[in-house]
Amino acid sequence: MADIKKIVIERDLNPYHSFFASFFAGLGELGMLNQGSINIVSKRAADYLYSYLDAKEILPDMNAVPGDTKIEIIKNLIMYVNKILTMVGEYDLQEAGDNKVVLLIEGNTCRICPKGVGGAAVKGTLCPIPSLLEALINMIAQKDMLELITPGIEKEGSTCKAYFKVLN
Amino acid sequence: MVPTISAQLDAILNDFERSVPHVQATAVVSTDGLVIASRLPKDVEEDRIGAMGAAILSISSRSGDELDRGEMTRVLVEGTNGYILIRSIGEYAILVALVEKEVRLGMLFYECKKCIEKLSEIL
Repeated sequence: MADIKKIVIERDLNPYHSFFASFFAGLGELGMLNQGSINIVSKRAADYLYSYLDAKEILPDMNAVPGDTKIEIIKNLIMYVNKILTMVGEYDLQEAGDNKVVLLIEGNTCRICPKGVGGAAVKGTLCPIPSLLEALINMIAQKDMLELITPGIEKEGSTCKAYFKVLN
Repeated sequence: MVPTISAQLDAILNDFERSVPHVQATAVVSTDGLVIASRLPKDVEEDRIGAMGAAILSISSRSGDELDRGEMTRVLVEGTNGYILIRSIGEYAILVALVEKEVRLGMLFYECKKCIEKLSEIL
């Protein structure tokens, strides 16, 4: 396993990041978790998170979310979700043409990766971020704004990429 | 014109279903649990079949290793209404088949092996 001390310090992990990343890593190594099941479970988690945000009265008012375009609004919603969950350090959302956007995550700054943080020794990806964002942002917006195209996340060097279609 | 990979996979799955009476549905899934091709009834959630099929095969394979049962060749889940048959297709994909109870298992396994060989040539 990679140097845990280095990961904890460099990625600025809190105890929950450490617990969940290693917990999901363990399930992945036992064969109980794969990208397909993560995509399904992320939607359930988004449901719960939405209720949590509602209960805490910290859901954003969609009329007050800054942005002149849909993509700017989506960017701000992602920023809001990431501020609450502190999932990643460095990321960007870029236009990819044809009403698509691409989420680019600097993998070395991700705090919840079951592989990079939790040390899961498995093939394939175990990323909850794209499916969680898709479900949670659509719930916050009360309409379908984003549709995940990538079935999970694509690795390109140290960057993790997920493509979405922008709707409505 | 060469048929697309999706069309080729669909044709192989269709052949398999036609050659074995009582095969109700089939899917080719990546080992990540993501569906590559499927012939499933409308009331079956494709995403769930993919995720669960891959997880069952993966857990079975791990269990086989841990308990010294050698390389896992297939998983057959038996229920009161029928079977779920899962087999790996090479290193990165699996075949999931939903089968009625009345099936002849020998025929199912034989045709499934042939189907896997055809799928392996494409994937």
